[in-house]
Amino acid sequence: MATEARILPPRVIAPRTIGRSVLLTLPIALWSLLIFSNSFRQPSRSVQIAGLLTAVFMMALFFMMMRTWSTYRWRRWFFVALGILFPVGFIHTVMVMRGTMGIPMEEMIAGRTPFCFMPIPLLILPAALTRTVVFPGSILPGAGMSGGGIAAMFGLWLAITLVVGKGWCSYACFFGGIEEGVASVPKLAKLRKIDPRWRYGPWAVLLAMVLLSLALFEPAYCMWLCPFKAVSEYVAARNTLGLIQNGIFIALFAGLVIVLPWLTKKRTQCAFFCPFGAFQSIFNKTSVFEVKIDRTRCSPCVLCQNACPTMSLTEESIAQGNTLMSCMKCGACVDVCPKHAAVWHIKGTEVAVKPERARLMLLYAAWAMAVMFGGTIIAQGLATLLHVFI
Amino acid sequence: MKIREKLGYTAAGLTVLAAVLTPFVLLGRFTKGVAALGLHVDEVYSGGPKVRTVKTGAYSIDIHRPVSPHLLQSEKPFVQLDWRPVSALPVHVSDAVDVDGDGRPDVRVSFDVPKDAKTPLRVNVEALNPHYEAMVNVGKERFSKLIVRVDDAILVRVPLVAQ
Repeated sequence: MATEARILPPRVIAPRTIGRSVLLTLPIALWSLLIFSNSFRQPSRSVQIAGLLTAVFMMALFFMMMRTWSTYRWRRWFFVALGILFPVGFIHTVMVMRGTMGIPMEEMIAGRTPFCFMPIPLLILPAALTRTVVFPGSILPGAGMSGGGIAAMFGLWLAITLVVGKGWCSYACFFGGIEEGVASVPKLAKLRKIDPRWRYGPWAVLLAMVLLSLALFEPAYCMWLCPFKAVSEYVAARNTLGLIQNGIFIALFAGLVIVLPWLTKKRTQCAFFCPFGAFQSIFNKTSVFEVKIDRTRCSPCVLCQNACPTMSLTEESIAQGNTLMSCMKCGACVDVCPKHAAVWHIKGTEVAVKPERARLMLLYAAWAMAVMFGGTIIAQGLATLLHVFI
Repeated sequence: MKIREKLGYTAAGLTVLAAVLTPFVLLGRFTKGVAALGLHVDEVYSGGPKVRTVKTGAYSIDIHRPVSPHLLQSEKPFVQLDWRPVSALPVHVSDAVDVDGDGRPDVRVSFDVPKDAKTPLRVNVEALNPHYEAMVNVGKERFSKLIVRVDDAILVRVPLVAQ
C-alpha cells in the first residue's frame, strides 16, 4: 500500500574539519604509498615521478571526498584521468612492441593479443561448454602484452567485482572516463528527451554478442562492435572486411563516446550499449553497497533522475526508494540531491540512518581498488607522457 | 541492532577486508584458480597441439594435430606445420612433408625465407594427397590458410579438403 511520505527539511552539512578529513584519508594515503612503493624503486625518473604524482592525486581526491562529503565530483577527476591516460600508456606500449595499433595475425597466433575485461561475458558459455577460450590470447601470465594473460584479467575482474559489483563501471573501467569527461563539458544537455527503452540496449547487445560468440566461436563484440578499439588497438585492415570493421569501431566511438555524451550529458555508451556493463549489473545483486532514496526526505524533484549518467533512476524507482540494477554507484544522485534524500546504504541496515558510514565503507573498498588498478594505469600513462615530453 | 543489520555491516566489513587482501592474496588465488580450470585457447588461433617433429638437416618441421573449426566458425579445417629455427632455413625452402605419418609425403611446401623479418611471406603448397588443399602464392588470407613468421618459426597452415 502506498503511503504519503512526510517530507523532512534538508540536512545542512558543513564541511568536515581538515583534521578529521586528514585522519579519514590516512588509511588511503598509506595504501597509496604501499601500492606505488614499487614505482619509487624503479630506475626510471619518469616512472618515479609518475608514481608519486598519482599517489598524491589519489590521496588528494579522497581527502576532498572526506572534506566536502561529495563523492561524484572528485571521483570524476580520477575517472576522466583514467580514461585519458589509459590509451596514452597502452598505445605507447603497443607502438613500441609492434609498431602498429593494428593486431597482426602473427600476434594473435602467438597468443599475444592483450586481453581486456570487455569480452569476459562472451567467453563464459564457450568455456563452460567446450573448455575453449575464444580469444587469441594466452591463459597463463607472462605471455600477454602486459604480461598478464587471460587468467590474470579474469582474477582481477573477480576480485574487483567481489568488492564493488557494478561499481566496476565507476571505479575500474578504463574506458568510461572518456565519455564521462565529454559529458561533463557542456553546461546543459541539448538532447533531453531520451526514450527510456534505450536502457534495454546493453542487455540486447549482451544477449546478441553472447549467442554470436558461442555460434561463431570468436569474441564477436571485439571483432565487430567495440567502440574503444578506436583508442586501443584494432583489427589490422588487411582487406575490405577489416576496413568495414574499423569503420564500425570509429563510427561507434564518435557516436556513443563523443557526440551523444556531449548532447545528452549521459554516459551513452555505458547506458545504452555496453554489454559488459549489463553483465556487471547482475553483480549489483551480490554487492552489499547500494544507493537508496529516503522517501521521508524526497520531494521528489527528479534532480537525481536528471543527474544519473546511466538513467538508473525512474519516477517509479524513486517512489519505491530504489535505483535500478544498472546503478554503478558513481554518486551523482547523492551529490545533487538538495534534501540529502539519495543516500548510500548497506543492505540489511535501515535506510538513511547512518548513510555516511555506508559511504565510508564503500569508498574505502572502492578507492583501494581504484588506487590499485586505475591508479597503476594512470601512473603508466603519466610515465609515458613524462618520458616523451620531459 | 537487528540481526539483519549486523549481517549487513559484517558483509560490508568483509568487503573492505577483501579489497585490502586483493593485491596480496585474492588476485593471485583467483588467477591460479582460473588457470587451473584446464581451459585452452581455441585451436583456430593456437594451431592445435604439436604431434610430431621431422628433422630435416639443420632445421626441423613441427607437425600439429589437424584443427576442426566449430559448427558455424568461418574457417576451414587445417593442419599447421612449423619450420624452425628460422636462422637455419635456406633462402628457399621446398620440403615434401608426411603430415599424417603414413610414410608417404602428403604435401610439398615451398616458400622463400627473406632476410628481413618484416618482409611478407608467400607460400605454394602442392597437394600430393587429395586430402590436402593446394595453395598458390598465399600470404595471410585466413587463419586456416596462411604463412606467417612467429618468433623463431615460420608457420604454414594448409587447409584440409572436406571429406
